[in-house]
Amino acid sequence: MKWGIGFQRRKRELQEEIDAHLQMAIADRVARGETAETARQAAAREFGNILLVQDVTREMWGQGWLEQLGRDLRYALRQLRKSPGFTITATAMLAVAICANSTIFSWIDGTMLRPIPGARDTGELVSLQRGERNFSPTPPFSYLDYRDLREQNHTFAGILAYHNDWIALTGGAQPERVYIANVSANFFDVLGIKPVLGRFFLPEEESSAVPNVVLGYSLWKTRYAKDPAIVGKSIEVARHPVTVIGVAPEGFVGAAPGLRDDLWVTLDPLGNDVWRMTHRDSDWLIVIGRLRPGVSRGQAAQDLDTVMHNIVAAYPDQHLGDNRITLDPMWRSPFGANGYMASTLPILLAFAGVVLLLTSANVATLTLVRFVSRRRELAIRQSLGANRIQLVRQMMLEGAVLSIVAGVVALVLTSWTSKTFAWFFPANAAPLVLNGSMDHRVVIGIAVSSLLAGMLCGVLPAWRSAHAPAIEVLKAESASISGGSRNRRLLNGLVVAQIALSLPLLICSGLFLQTLRNLATANPGFEQDHVLTASVGLNIAGYSNDEAQLIRHKILDRVSALPGVEVASLTDWIPMTLIQKRSDAYPEGYVPHPHESLLVENAEVGPRYFESLHIPILEGREFTLNDDEKAPSVLVVDQTAARRFWPGQDPLGKGLKVWGRLFTVVGVARNSTHTFVNESPEAMVYMSYFQHPGYETMVQLRTAGNPVDLEPVVENTIHEIDTRLPVFDVRTMRESTQLASTFAVIESTLAGMFALIGLVLAVTGIYGVVAYRTQMRTHEIGVRVALGASRVDVLRLVLSQGLWLTGIGVALGLALAFGLTRIIVRLLYGIGANDPITVVSVVMLLGAMSLAACYLPAHRAMRRNPVTAIREL
Amino acid sequence: MSEKEQYKNRIELLQGTLDMLILQTLQWGPQHGYGIVQALRLRSGEVLQVETGSLYPALHRLERQSWVQSEWGQSESKQRARYYRITAKGKKQLASDLGRWERIVEAIGSVMYVKSKENES
Repeated sequence: MKWGIGFQRRKRELQEEIDAHLQMAIADRVARGETAETARQAAAREFGNILLVQDVTREMWGQGWLEQLGRDLRYALRQLRKSPGFTITATAMLAVAICANSTIFSWIDGTMLRPIPGARDTGELVSLQRGERNFSPTPPFSYLDYRDLREQNHTFAGILAYHNDWIALTGGAQPERVYIANVSANFFDVLGIKPVLGRFFLPEEESSAVPNVVLGYSLWKTRYAKDPAIVGKSIEVARHPVTVIGVAPEGFVGAAPGLRDDLWVTLDPLGNDVWRMTHRDSDWLIVIGRLRPGVSRGQAAQDLDTVMHNIVAAYPDQHLGDNRITLDPMWRSPFGANGYMASTLPILLAFAGVVLLLTSANVATLTLVRFVSRRRELAIRQSLGANRIQLVRQMMLEGAVLSIVAGVVALVLTSWTSKTFAWFFPANAAPLVLNGSMDHRVVIGIAVSSLLAGMLCGVLPAWRSAHAPAIEVLKAESASISGGSRNRRLLNGLVVAQIALSLPLLICSGLFLQTLRNLATANPGFEQDHVLTASVGLNIAGYSNDEAQLIRHKILDRVSALPGVEVASLTDWIPMTLIQKRSDAYPEGYVPHPHESLLVENAEVGPRYFESLHIPILEGREFTLNDDEKAPSVLVVDQTAARRFWPGQDPLGKGLKVWGRLFTVVGVARNSTHTFVNESPEAMVYMSYFQHPGYETMVQLRTAGNPVDLEPVVENTIHEIDTRLPVFDVRTMRESTQLASTFAVIESTLAGMFALIGLVLAVTGIYGVVAYRTQMRTHEIGVRVALGASRVDVLRLVLSQGLWLTGIGVALGLALAFGLTRIIVRLLYGIGANDPITVVSVVMLLGAMSLAACYLPAHRAMRRNPVTAIREL
Repeated sequence: MSEKEQYKNRIELLQGTLDMLILQTLQWGPQHGYGIVQALRLRSGEVLQVETGSLYPALHRLERQSWVQSEWGQSESKQRARYYRITAKGKKQLASDLGRWERIVEAIGSVMYVKSKENES
């Protein structure tokens, strides 16, 4: 620090120069006959304010502002050190509030703002959806439709398609489940991804049977030990040899936000899926487009609508129902996890923002109280020549120091809390890669929130204090220092603001907690407690159809015989795991209206499925082993489907056309939850598993005892049939269905935490102000008591003041809450947004807490001896 | 208004004029701050009383602009003091300041002259 040393030397020299000046002046006066003492005094008087002269002179050096900042900073630090209680409290509160914001923001940053890690300019990407908007839609496009859209549009730089799946990597000792995506040849190109090794797919490979595979970086690293010569080698996927042609870069995990792909193949690499490559009614692709520069989403949607309109006109039979195209930016794409994120995280960020405001108001209150007691110091500084701007700067600097320290603490905390997001997701079959991320955007976010907090809690008190006329303050007695009416109004305003802000937080968290309780206790319409499920990778491990059917029968026989198993069945779908299949369905002879949506959910389930889940069959029967490939096609529908297709009629024996085939209804099952407890019921049709084998093979067992105890036994039993059978996702129904309430858990946890912070802040805020003001009025209260006021009068005096503020705060808070709860109404279940019981209990809680907060100082004031109170000033 | 602002404003008002006076004083030889105050007071017939709050900032500014140089020396009374010496650049500045000053005096004089004439007529 050469500059610093030079600066210190110059300061010393200036001091010396001024000393010399004074010495010469004194010497002159003494020479003229004055006494040494009077000469010294006169010279000093003549010179003026030495410090000020130094100050002004130093400003001429050009580094004045820096030095001034340094001095102000030192002064601020000294002031803060002088009251460690205030400093630590304020810093801790601000740090927590900033951390609340930055944590949520880091989650948004890691998910919504980074929808496809590694991809170029994700802002240009849009997700295509056909037909009715749905919260968790199934893949909307067939291959031929996708190709027409890709080739006939005028607004996209490129459109890609993919299909997520899982599969077994065979060839090793044990088959390993991996997540795979069938992708269009331009997949990597449109996303802007370059291979780290080898190449990606060529256009001519897209629809032809070329068994080539691109490995994901982490699979290459873990399973192939980063083999640099992997390109060209053959690996076994589902017992088929495929050739590795390239490796994707680190960090890129596919195009579905929040989901991981381990490897990529073309759309039909083995040439055995001709049906879905050639049929327009086989919807299996998720489509993402990159807009041409300067094209808006609206224009692109219109363009695609025109193309789609022509397709529908040419192939009306394959496009029943709604065919309108909608485009979503990737941050809220309904495919992958971002749809869920977008409906939860921004609301939580808003809550965190309220917490920050609340905290700033609280710190401002503390600061103001502190500044009021520092009025004397400020007044002295002012009369010594500090101007108002300097004082304001000084005090804002104190606020800034607090919030910067708080920001640094928050930064350290957030680097940990950002990673806690993954904790909320229970074990499940989906390859979720959801977590917060800590990057420059989060750091900027923290900087912005600390700046905001610093401004909020620094400016107001600073401006207020700096307006105090110095002379009056110096003259005034300490008792009246508690401030003029303007000061009191400001303090009152801050307390009211804190109560008003904490009330909506409390109400929202109350609503969320009750939603969570309602979800947990709601009856989904099927048994959750004594059910165990296990997935067997028959399809993904490459068994032929006949082999697979044989193995399924064997599995069913063996597990049924296990002790402790009451009922065993097969299914290809587990409810409430965020997975759905949908198909177009229409009853025999029914003519659909144009644009009428005919989608139903469907699942393939085995014999005794309904029995194993305790879902009653209301009419007809459920499937038996006889409903196999040779028997006529049969269906079981749920009540919603029955009511929708045959209102007022008996559905038994009626025909329903699905997948272009006619099915006969043999049973009606009671409605049960498909995805979310709070969903609006969608029609569901069940097919017989042995008639139309499902893609997944899931064994479903109802157990007598705790299903967890059977987990190892079931896994062993299946392996006994064939040791190479991949078995995974062995878990209880209760555990699987937890996924459906994940977001309710996230919402209620965070809202609860924020509300607790809000409550503590509001109560300490009102306590601080009432206690402070009561202390300032000690003298007055003493006089009142001496003149005959009873203790109850004193109590009333102090209490009424605090309760007034609470009342106004609660009134404002209620108005605020009615606005805020409207935002969360979609996230609630089983409770209204303005639930009177919640509102009343929250108001009572807040009222009781602030009553307690006011009572403490009132009690102290009441018990003071009036004589000592009057003496004390 | 605080004392500091008063100083600052005064510097602005006298800027140029005070610089010129200081440079002119230093024409007669190197001088320290106290000496400059005394010299200005004596030569103006006790009329110009330069305040230290204006003088030292001005000196330090002039030094930064390289119109004066400073070095430590001994006064007649054996007091160690900082002596300011005018530089070649400072002399040029003084000449231009003087020219400007004369033009201003002339301009103000002619205004006052015309005005008083009008009043007479």
